Amino acid sequence: MDVFAASPSILEPLAHVTAADPDLELAERFREGDRAAFDQLVRRHQKPLWRLVRRYVKRDADAADVTQQAFVRAFKALATFRGAASVRSWLYRIAINCALSWLRDHRREEASEIADDALTATNPAPAQLIAGEDTAALRAAIAQLPPKQKLVLELRVFDDLSFKEVAELAECTENTAKVNFHYAVKKLRELLVGDHDAP
Amino acid sequence: MRRDDELLAAYVDGVSELTADERRHVEELLARDPALRTDEAQTRTLIDQLRSLPPEGTEPDWTAMERAIAGEVGDKVPRPWWRPSWRWLVPASALALAAAVFALWIHAPAPATTPVVATPSDAGAAPIAPPEDELATMPLWLDGEEVEIDLAADELLEVDRALLGEDDGLTPGLLPVDNLAWIDELDVDDIEVAEAWLGRKKG
Repeated sequence: MDVFAASPSILEPLAHVTAADPDLELAERFREGDRAAFDQLVRRHQKPLWRLVRRYVKRDADAADVTQQAFVRAFKALATFRGAASVRSWLYRIAINCALSWLRDHRREEASEIADDALTATNPAPAQLIAGEDTAALRAAIAQLPPKQKLVLELRVFDDLSFKEVAELAECTENTAKVNFHYAVKKLRELLVGDHDAP
Repeated sequence: MRRDDELLAAYVDGVSELTADERRHVEELLARDPALRTDEAQTRTLIDQLRSLPPEGTEPDWTAMERAIAGEVGDKVPRPWWRPSWRWLVPASALALAAAVFALWIHAPAPATTPVVATPSDAGAAPIAPPEDELATMPLWLDGEEVEIDLAADELLEVDRALLGEDDGLTPGLLPVDNLAWIDELDVDDIEVAEAWLGRKKG
């Protein structure tokens, strides 16, 4: 997808402007030389960024490294941030790019780790197993979604982004993001309950 | 082709983000289609399930991560490469422009004393100075001062050509500045003609 191809240094102005961006003041202060403003941005966004990265990178420590790398890139590029998108969606895009770049560099290693984890995992209690089955089934269904639908669904549901921000990150119109979200949910229902009405 | 219900999930999970038209459209569909209402309920349940999914993995030590990031980026706020430039670029450009205008004013060439001839066919091309024998005017020494003479003027023909030595390569009818020997050879009539012409010229 194109959204993954762009590097943070060549980000184009995004289509929608977030009217009241709570991070914009921090970005402005940073541009004026206030180094502490960046620390506030880190405190505000490190947790959601790590969660976003963790959906791509399956080991916690690696996800932390990638998140850290994303913030370092943001630090270098923040002075050139033009405010065409919200600071949050700008950070998310950097994080997604970093995660995908990491995946490209560690593809074999990542696949091997997942296999090892499956072999060494401890057996869950029966109650956990039922809940775990639901959770696993949901995650497995999400993993089967087409990439664009998966991206839109996760950004919307797990990251609580507005459709406007989702559209910025998915590089589509807001209406297209809404439609993709609809088909993602419909496809999940089909995968989970055998509903075959989805397109 | 777009389906009517494709905004249903967005309606369920973000009705406030739909436009008034989109909202009204979905509500009309829901009002007349019981199956769609069932869809709406199932969609709502599924989205609730998705939102209640626990995050994957174990969260890191956020304070440690913050310290690590701060340590890696350092204390100096990076500046865009162009920013230090444009701050002095404006005054520097203004200064350079002023200097250029001043230099042009100081070294501006005096207006050309030799006229240039342009023919209609040369319109738009750079003017070319005519050859020496095609000069339109020529400075001559007359009555103690230099006078610009129109070479095409008929009155010059009144000067005695014999006095000018046409065989010497001089332009017929002209009295050269650099050699005034011809003055001694003028007779009274010639002097009268010359003085009369000079009088008209000074006029």
